[in-house]
Amino acid sequence: MAAPCAMDEVPPENLFIAPSIDVPRLLSGQSYSYHSPVPRALVDDKVTECVLGVDEAGRGPVLGPMVYALFYLPLPLHRSLLAETHHFDDSKVLTPQVRSNLVQKLCTASTDLHQSCGWAAKVMSPRDISAGMLKPAVLYNLNQQAMDATIELIKDVFARGVNVKEIYIDTIGPPQTYQAKLSRIFPTTTITVAKKADSLYPCVSAASVCAKVTRDAALEVCYRAYTAAPLTPEGSEAPATAEVEGWGSGYPSDARCSGWLKRNMDPVFGWGNVCRFSWNTAKDLLEAKSSAVNVEWPAQEDEDNTRMIDFLPASRRDQKKNAHKMATWFGVKVGEGLF
Amino acid sequence: MEARLEQALLLKRVVEAIKDLVQDCNFDCNDTGIALQAMDNSHVALVSMLLKAEAFSPYRCDRNIPIGINLTSLTKVLRCAQNDDILTLKAEDSPDTINLTFESSESDRLSEYDIKLMDIDQDHLGIPETEYAATITMPSAEFQRICRDLIALSESVSIEATKEGVKFSCAGDIGNGSVTLRSHTNVEKPELNVEIDLAEPVALTFSLKYLVNFCKASALSGSVKLCLSNEVPLLVEYGLSGSSWLRFYLAPKIGDEE
Repeated sequence: MAAPCAMDEVPPENLFIAPSIDVPRLLSGQSYSYHSPVPRALVDDKVTECVLGVDEAGRGPVLGPMVYALFYLPLPLHRSLLAETHHFDDSKVLTPQVRSNLVQKLCTASTDLHQSCGWAAKVMSPRDISAGMLKPAVLYNLNQQAMDATIELIKDVFARGVNVKEIYIDTIGPPQTYQAKLSRIFPTTTITVAKKADSLYPCVSAASVCAKVTRDAALEVCYRAYTAAPLTPEGSEAPATAEVEGWGSGYPSDARCSGWLKRNMDPVFGWGNVCRFSWNTAKDLLEAKSSAVNVEWPAQEDEDNTRMIDFLPASRRDQKKNAHKMATWFGVKVGEGLF
Repeated sequence: MEARLEQALLLKRVVEAIKDLVQDCNFDCNDTGIALQAMDNSHVALVSMLLKAEAFSPYRCDRNIPIGINLTSLTKVLRCAQNDDILTLKAEDSPDTINLTFESSESDRLSEYDIKLMDIDQDHLGIPETEYAATITMPSAEFQRICRDLIALSESVSIEATKEGVKFSCAGDIGNGSVTLRSHTNVEKPELNVEIDLAEPVALTFSLKYLVNFCKASALSGSVKLCLSNEVPLLVEYGLSGSSWLRFYLAPKIGDEE
């Protein structure tokens, strides 16, 4: 779990842009999944039993995607490779630079990490999160979206022929219910759902690092897109302060984030694909008086319904035009006739 | 203009019945009474109301005055009146506001409200006099029930009047349904009578959403009159005391033969 305590940190200058970053899809507001290639050792030997951890980053922020990541490796290497050799830990304990370096190693072909470990990430776009949460009839809340993303990721790993024996997950809601649900879907696997799994199990720590690095890079990519194409291109009032301050961590409690939201709100459309409109921070800003304009939605037209005006002499011009076919139906003009 | 209604209930119910169809409209006052005519936003339905001078006691209006009002505002103020209160409407010759006073019939309570008026540019549409092919009079509660029952299945209803009777039918995703009424005279309870006056058979399709909306007027009158002719809007009329009325017109749907 990425907690708001991490919100004030500054991403490293040379943040590693992981292969889980798909710039066109990020900018267009689509959700997508990334899977690393299955390590050679596991492809060659399909019976190797693996351990898999799942964790998330970016649940609370109003800006940027929520990322679910999973990480798997052969069971015997679990503690020795992750905890002892590379010192993976809860992403909040590690500095951004350390996290970034770890993922870079993981994605470099010659390293021991790359040779034995696989990982995947599901990037859930702000647009899809908000659309689910704001759906009128049966709303699709964040927990359900998170569970579905997790299940989808794990299924994909099974589909790639990885023999997963143990799964560790940080809980969403009550651990027992979530564990029971997952056990029904993956009956052959030992599943452990626990609070603070990211500091207890090295594979969950590693997943949390992958998720966090993906999320940070995604936010950075989105931000660069914003500063490259400022909202007021020719304006002399281009938000110079915004460029200095940035939008921070994307958490609503971060003053840089709320300041950015206020300065960069379009009165009609609000913000772009980067913003979760279902967050109260965004809703409050849009609904506040005098900041955004009120949009009137025209009444939905029934395609196959005729109009009353087709039957009424609305104006003299119309009357002339339609007189031939309406003559039998037109009667007296309103006024005396009505009374 | 000054008009005194014995019971606020009448105006409360009229406004209640039309406020979801029309937001702003003119109440046109002249010496014969108060008239209202407005179309809904999508121009599919039209409301027409006439409260004749006889509905009031007394009624006085020396010249034509349009009273343009937001019906939501009017509803807010009318909610402050008890059903049995005596209601008096007052307006100057070229008014900025309309004044409403509610006098309790039981106590000496007197409440007074002014509502700001608005300039509404409204086309006066001549509603053509029509000889309808079929005129059906039935209990308003019955019509309301039919509309509410059928909207559970479909968005539109076909109304078919023949010698046999009048059939309301609809077809939707889950299935189809119909209600048929025949001419019926109940000597004990004449309010349950169904009268069908048929010159020629007609069949037309209408949006149920609007009909259900019209049925909010059911409280105004025990019976409702439906007038139909092919390729002409349906007229739904609720008669009020003193030959006043509330009428709704609804344009038919096309391309649906069923």
